[in-house]
Amino acid sequence: MESAITNSTNGRRTFLKNSAALGGVAAASGCATIGSTGPKVVVVGGGYGGATVAKYIKMWGPNIDVTMIERNAEFVSCPMSNLVLGGSQSMKDITLSYDTLQKKYGIKMVRGEASAIDPDKKIVRLASGESIPFDRVIVSPGIDFMYDLLPGLNNAAAQDRVLHAWKAGPQTLALRQQLESMADGGVVAISITEAPYRCPPGPYERACQIAAYLKQSKPKSKVLILDANMDIISKPGLFKKAFAEMYPGMIEYRPNSKVVDVDVRTMTAKLEVEDVKADVLNVLPPMKAGAIANSFITANKRWCEINWLTYEAKNVPGVHLLGDALQIAPLMPKSAHMANAHGKACAAAVVALLSGEQPNLSPTLTNTCYSFVSAEKAVHVASIHKYDEKDKTMKSVPGAGGVSISASELEGQYAMTWAKNIWADSLG
Amino acid sequence: MAIKISQLFIPAITSALFGTAFAQAPAAAPSPAPAAPPASTFAAANLTPLGVRSLAANCAACHGTNGNSVGGAVGGLAGLDKDYFVNQMKLFKEGKREATLMHQISKGYSDAEISAMAGFFSTQKK
Repeated sequence: MESAITNSTNGRRTFLKNSAALGGVAAASGCATIGSTGPKVVVVGGGYGGATVAKYIKMWGPNIDVTMIERNAEFVSCPMSNLVLGGSQSMKDITLSYDTLQKKYGIKMVRGEASAIDPDKKIVRLASGESIPFDRVIVSPGIDFMYDLLPGLNNAAAQDRVLHAWKAGPQTLALRQQLESMADGGVVAISITEAPYRCPPGPYERACQIAAYLKQSKPKSKVLILDANMDIISKPGLFKKAFAEMYPGMIEYRPNSKVVDVDVRTMTAKLEVEDVKADVLNVLPPMKAGAIANSFITANKRWCEINWLTYEAKNVPGVHLLGDALQIAPLMPKSAHMANAHGKACAAAVVALLSGEQPNLSPTLTNTCYSFVSAEKAVHVASIHKYDEKDKTMKSVPGAGGVSISASELEGQYAMTWAKNIWADSLG
Repeated sequence: MAIKISQLFIPAITSALFGTAFAQAPAAAPSPAPAAPPASTFAAANLTPLGVRSLAANCAACHGTNGNSVGGAVGGLAGLDKDYFVNQMKLFKEGKREATLMHQISKGYSDAEISAMAGFFSTQKK
């Protein structure tokens, strides 16, 4: 059995080299073939990371056969989804099609639920029973919620009432409807889990967006932020200024306020020392790498460690990982922009490896996270990360990057264009 | 005197910007605190065509794939004159061109990297 696998692997390697060489010729003469017999890459997950890596592999290695497995029919963007809560954007504005990836780039889309990744047999199994073979697999699983740490929320009925809305989609709209149904004078509580979690500035942007809606429609209401962390995790000065100046008396920020359980019947968040009742309770539960990546989790029982030159799992070479599921490098956020950047770095590495070439030994990643503090005004935080040879990780470049001086409409316009460009860069 | 001030000033600014801007570092991350700034152990820039392509891909999230912006407030980079690109990045770095963000981003790239990216974008079709 062992030797049979080894033999087939060797056979495949030789085949890959040949087809990659042919592919190189095809690419150089500009007549890349779609659906060719090149090496097979399977991408699990079609979020920012997965869509970007699939597109860039096809751009940079047109002979490579790319299949992307995604459970949803359409892409719904987490960035900008807080604006749906605030009311200045609709679900339609943040929902995008996968059509261009298929039609323009020749990526095969499989709509379904990946249930297992078998690195030895080199197949991804689907819940439907189907299995898809690969030469290399790229797993961009996003995050899952650890509801077992919040017993009162550890059932489907409870999760329907106390929403996370931290994966944009039906929950985004449902949370908006809860806000619309709330009477004036109500309290909206947002509970933030300990860092690291997906989208560091997101919860504070959400507080601003909900407050913007309430200020206009239900001015006697309040937003209460219950933060498990000891301070605002991203852009603290800018958010505190926005809370105080744009929503005076409306947003209350409580640090060191870890929610340890939830009573859904009474809409009560249970903290270590007190209980807090709310009319709308929005809980961001503790997070981990998406379940399909469970066997590649090596850090803190939550996140996946990788080789930052190839994006291969630390514990299983040949399996690549990216996006929010990663054990992040120092000062690197779990953001859509970063997942998009991981996608390109991983695409370059996979194309190189499939051609028998050395991956880039000096990768650079850039990140910009915009947050809207009102319907029009935004703030940013930016950073540049380069590969550190000694510590074998990505490190932020000293003296580069930073945050906005103040919230502005100009940055709001840049943020809107950022969304349009990153959507086009990831999806078509 | 000027050197002394900048030695004190730059770390203070950096820590103000990053100390609390992100707190997502892994818990186990070592916190080196040497008295003198440590020598950089960043890998040498990869200025081969494939290295530059990857470097320039960082610009795409805001400026469009291969520098082709879909429009709106952020301009495209495809087809820009090489010298113009280099000069604008220099002005951003030196704080001489007004910016909300690019003065911060430009400082993450060396002059050699900027020159190579300028070459890449100048040959991209609009």
